[in-house]
Amino acid sequence: MKKEEAILEVQNLSKVFDANTDNEKDVLKDVSLQVARNEFLCILGPSGCGKTTLLRCIAGFEGYEGSVLVNGQERRLPGTDRIMVFQDFNQLFPWKTVEKNIQYPLKRQGIRDKAMLKERSEDVLQKVKLSGYEKYYPYQLSGGMKQRVAIAKALALKPEIILMDEPFAALDAMTRNELQDELMRISLEEKCTIIFITHNIQEAIVLGTRILVLAQEGKIVVDEKNRIEKPVTPASEGYGATWERLHSALYQ
Amino acid sequence: MKKYVRLLAICLGITVMAAGCGNSGQAQKTSGNQAAQGQAEDSTGSQAAEDEADGGNQDADNTGGEEATLNIAYQYGLAYAPLSIVKEQELIEKAYEEATGNKVTVTWNQMSSGADINTGISAGSIDAGFMGVGPAVTGVMKGVGYKIFTNLSGQEHGIMTNDDRIQSFEDLIGSSNQIALVNIGSFQHILLAMALENAGYDPHALDSNIVAMAHPDGMAALESGNVSCHLTSSPYIFKEREEGNLHEIMDVAEAWGVDGSFIVGVASERMHDNNPELYQVLCDAIAEAVDFMNNSPEEAAKITCEFDGNSEEDELAYIQKSKYTIETKGLFELASFMARTEFIEEAPGSYEDLVFENVKGD
Amino acid sequence: MEDKKRWAHTLAARVIFVAAFLGLWEYVAKSGMMGEKSELIFPSLEVIGGALVKNFVQGYAGMSLWVYIGNSMRLLLEGLLIGIILAFLLSGLSMVSRVFYDICNLVISVFDLLPGVALLPVVIIIFGVKPGVIVFLVIHAVLWPMARNVLDGFLAVPRIYIEAGQNMGLKGASLLWGVYIPAATSYIVSGLKVGWARAWRGLISAEMIFGVASCPGIGLFINQMRTNMNNAEMYATLVVIIIIGLVVQYGVLSPIEKCTVKKWGMSR
Repeated sequence: MKKEEAILEVQNLSKVFDANTDNEKDVLKDVSLQVARNEFLCILGPSGCGKTTLLRCIAGFEGYEGSVLVNGQERRLPGTDRIMVFQDFNQLFPWKTVEKNIQYPLKRQGIRDKAMLKERSEDVLQKVKLSGYEKYYPYQLSGGMKQRVAIAKALALKPEIILMDEPFAALDAMTRNELQDELMRISLEEKCTIIFITHNIQEAIVLGTRILVLAQEGKIVVDEKNRIEKPVTPASEGYGATWERLHSALYQ
Repeated sequence: MKKYVRLLAICLGITVMAAGCGNSGQAQKTSGNQAAQGQAEDSTGSQAAEDEADGGNQDADNTGGEEATLNIAYQYGLAYAPLSIVKEQELIEKAYEEATGNKVTVTWNQMSSGADINTGISAGSIDAGFMGVGPAVTGVMKGVGYKIFTNLSGQEHGIMTNDDRIQSFEDLIGSSNQIALVNIGSFQHILLAMALENAGYDPHALDSNIVAMAHPDGMAALESGNVSCHLTSSPYIFKEREEGNLHEIMDVAEAWGVDGSFIVGVASERMHDNNPELYQVLCDAIAEAVDFMNNSPEEAAKITCEFDGNSEEDELAYIQKSKYTIETKGLFELASFMARTEFIEEAPGSYEDLVFENVKGD
Repeated sequence: MEDKKRWAHTLAARVIFVAAFLGLWEYVAKSGMMGEKSELIFPSLEVIGGALVKNFVQGYAGMSLWVYIGNSMRLLLEGLLIGIILAFLLSGLSMVSRVFYDICNLVISVFDLLPGVALLPVVIIIFGVKPGVIVFLVIHAVLWPMARNVLDGFLAVPRIYIEAGQNMGLKGASLLWGVYIPAATSYIVSGLKVGWARAWRGLISAEMIFGVASCPGIGLFINQMRTNMNNAEMYATLVVIIIIGLVVQYGVLSPIEKCTVKKWGMSR
């Protein structure tokens, strides 16, 4: 992969927790990574390997050493070019309706035209199959619906990269499968770049176009293209072999 | 619906029970008196209120050996100095035992205003109180159930100003200058009205210039220039007269001098009628203390200075500038003025309406 | 349907309670158990009712009780407004600067303990004798509990809201306005409730002690009724105070709660 194509570049990123104390711990050590445009990068890793921290560093919520470049430009603070979808259902503002939750960041970006705002929010809600829920408050929605709204909110902003931190981990299996299918469909239609953290191998194979496995301190032990044809089912050719390979890398 | 009926029944039950308690509480008083003796001394607040049945109106035909109680309310300051003597020398206790052979427990309650004492007396928890003539006249005319049984003291009053441009009432009326005095409707307020009338103005012409502040706060406000006038009584007026940058508008001091009644004692009709011995002892004790103040002011100052928070020399000087007497002066005149100028709603018909039969004066 | 039933229950319970209370009052007043001067110190309901009318029609010193209420309310609103703005300012700055937070925390803890009336002499010396003193005491009453609540509310804002806000480009004042304040609404509303009650009580007690005759308030009115032994009028004024308190509670604070935290499913 040539450097110019990379939408995101992580260079020698290191992060230490509890620096200068007895509990000092390297969470990430010298991690380097490039993500290409329109890539759906799934990052797998055991608990405590630093995958969430890596994502938070990219999003700009954490301080770190090294650098994060978006389209070749250094980013240190949070910004609308990297939108985060959290695992926690309560990431929507409870004091705003579904529609306003989606429109608010757009307004912050300077879109004042009411019709345009409405069109954008209706459009993305339709994509996550939540048309008709515009006037609902978050507390009136189920967990899966809240995550759909969070994804819709991210899509509406048209960011360079969407960062997803195990957004489906707290959902029941059925809702989870449903949302995986939809996210895959949307990612194909929308041509967006996604970094998706998970500890679920099946999820990574179903969604990712490229799969990374991290070990302790953010060490990249597997970095491969996922060549299984979409939509992926356990019956797809190569699924079993990929699963075995990732599984052994994950639990070595 | 059943639930509500039950609830209502419970509420009514509580009501009846509470009423029952009130009555039985009173009934117990006569029988339980002996047991209550020990506690009577530290009786405060609510207990004092419960004691309404006894107090001064100890039934005269009660068997000997029964102890009487007397609840006295007073206020703070130089004008109340004779009471410190009565209290310290236990004049009432001694005289009552001498006269009847029985003991009396006297409880002294310091209260912050005549209005509080009025409420206490009408509720029956206080038998005798000392207050300014203003609230005393109000209480008598309102039918609180007491009359004046003695005069206590006269003091100097005056209005001081820190503004050289203010020389007379003329300079105050219609201005935004503020006059601090202890309370609206207080004796000091009445004096202001009286002085205004004497000077030929509407007695209420300065009402909207008044700010109500306790004496020490008013003095601080005058000295710091936050109000332009302060109408006060001794010892504050003495202290303010010593300040070089303040001067006095004489009308108030001339309207009511040290000879005029200022603080009087009131006694409940209940005590006066039911326990005449105790009533007489109370009158005599005040008279004795007043004589003591007048005959040996040095000794009196030693006793009272501690209560009033002054040095002994200051206290003696203040005592000598005060007038302690049991004869009223100007009481009826003042009450009539209060009625005429609408400080009270009803005018007294005669001097005797205000005082018990033993009080001398006008 | 359920709601309606519960509402009826609540109403019935309240009506019964009030009726029982009034019944008890009337019984005590009429039974004469408060001594022979009962009608003077413990007037019956009819007398208090009559006094209530008299307060508004005749009033005191030629002014209806309305005038006194108006004066009090004006000072109260002025103080509340300034107090609330200051509370937000203090808590907002505390979120920005750690040093300011530490100082602010101490200041709130210290001043919250001081009864406003005890500060009166100092306030008079500093600010002079004006209705402004009352405003100052109202501010004192509302500011500290309000600031404490707002600050607690800000500290309790879930990190995820803050990060979501930062993610969409909010920072500084826009983050405060866009995330902290709405997320802390339930704290702010309870701060308002406490602050209002304290301010209302503080106002009346200050007016009872420190009466400015050129701007007489409801506290001064009560004090006058007390001084003149007009107890029925005094109780009637207390009733008016309670009614005003209830009107603010149910007419202003409850609706605020209803169209914010209740509507958002955020009530604690």
